[in-house]
Amino acid sequence: MTNLENKLVTLDPRDESDHGPALLAPRPHTLDGKTLGLLSNNKPHSEELLQMIATNIRERYGIKGTVEYNKGSHQWPANSEALKEFAAKCDVAIHATAE
Amino acid sequence: MTSQNLTSLQHQFADWEQVQEYYLGANLTDGLPIMPPTEDRVRAMLEFSGLPPDQIIGFESIRQKHITAEKVAINAVMAGCRPEYFPVVTSAIAACCEPVFNLHASSTSTNGVTVLVLVSGDYAQEIGMNSSTGLMGPSNHANASIGRAVNLVKTNFYGSIPQEMDNSTFGHPGKYTFCFAENLDAGNWPSLAVDKGFDGSSSAVTVVAAYSPLQVSVFGGKDPESFLAGVAHAMIGLGPSVSEVFVVLSPEVMQYVDEAGWSKQQVQEFLWEKARLPAREWIAWRRVEHPDRFPDKDQLVGCVADPSRITLFAAGGAAGVYVDVIGSWGNSRPVTRKIEVRS
Repeated sequence: MTNLENKLVTLDPRDESDHGPALLAPRPHTLDGKTLGLLSNNKPHSEELLQMIATNIRERYGIKGTVEYNKGSHQWPANSEALKEFAAKCDVAIHATAE
Repeated sequence: MTSQNLTSLQHQFADWEQVQEYYLGANLTDGLPIMPPTEDRVRAMLEFSGLPPDQIIGFESIRQKHITAEKVAINAVMAGCRPEYFPVVTSAIAACCEPVFNLHASSTSTNGVTVLVLVSGDYAQEIGMNSSTGLMGPSNHANASIGRAVNLVKTNFYGSIPQEMDNSTFGHPGKYTFCFAENLDAGNWPSLAVDKGFDGSSSAVTVVAAYSPLQVSVFGGKDPESFLAGVAHAMIGLGPSVSEVFVVLSPEVMQYVDEAGWSKQQVQEFLWEKARLPAREWIAWRRVEHPDRFPDKDQLVGCVADPSRITLFAAGGAAGVYVDVIGSWGNSRPVTRKIEVRS
């Protein structure tokens, strides 16, 4: 055992790398005139849930329209090219899961 | 090579008990005491494999984790590994970082699968792994500590801590450890390592995002057609959404298969054929998340997509007509890596 001034010295097993804080994307002041993206993870009923949320938002804001994308699986990452294409088409996006 | 500084945060304690209290309290164990990861022990681990501490063993892309040899060694020491086990641990971690293994999802999902570490080849014998009686149970130091080390890397380094990032509904006893070796003395089939494309002198480790093993008793005959039907019946219990199935034949069952002259391919095809049901039955049993996946409800749907996704090998004690069936979670594919041992 390693002793330092009669102490038992051990090492830390955790990841100590610093990725920096995760930052939120800038938030718009209003949804009026914005295109709303609906991103489904393909869980059962996730698309229905997103449509209900979109309906609710339409009643409260004058959104320009909606864009939908289903990433195909809740267990696998989205195709990065398809995700970029989706992101380019909308101003804000909602990602939902459901069962 | 290992004169390079270790860079991990150091902790100082007055005694062994304080070490245990700290690591348990900081949620850095599986709930059991650990071997204190002192610098000497960590260096011995790295030295055996000739790895510098900053060597990247694997990169997991979802969480952007570069897993270094130093961190794997610290966790391996904590698990109780001897230095000669370290090549198996590092190969297993590297395999877990292959994108098809889907480490992130398999470490977080409610499904609660664990990492099965399956070792094939002479190196398993060299380090004293158990491939025989009771191989999936306790008492063998290599089996126990290698599997534990992989789990500790997953929890401590990767962050898959139960009730935090790991949301397993039930958990899995194999999240403590689930590691064993193929029994190379049983049967005439090529080893798993050879099946995976390595030469006969190589040893390999396969990681599987594994459900609980299901033991099947196959009584009443030595004819493969009769007893393998029971194995296929058990496979149906896994549902139609597993990615692969690992079928462990006891040496006695392996002997009957050999005596009948059946090849691996024959057994794979037989099991695949028998473990199929019409889509409507799977749907009626609520085993299908998206029923519209099968437009033709009379279509025969297999437990796995094709026979090659059934991996067969012998392991276990000499006595007993048992077969163990282990399903691989549907959103992960098993990965095999060669075990690199410094000569």
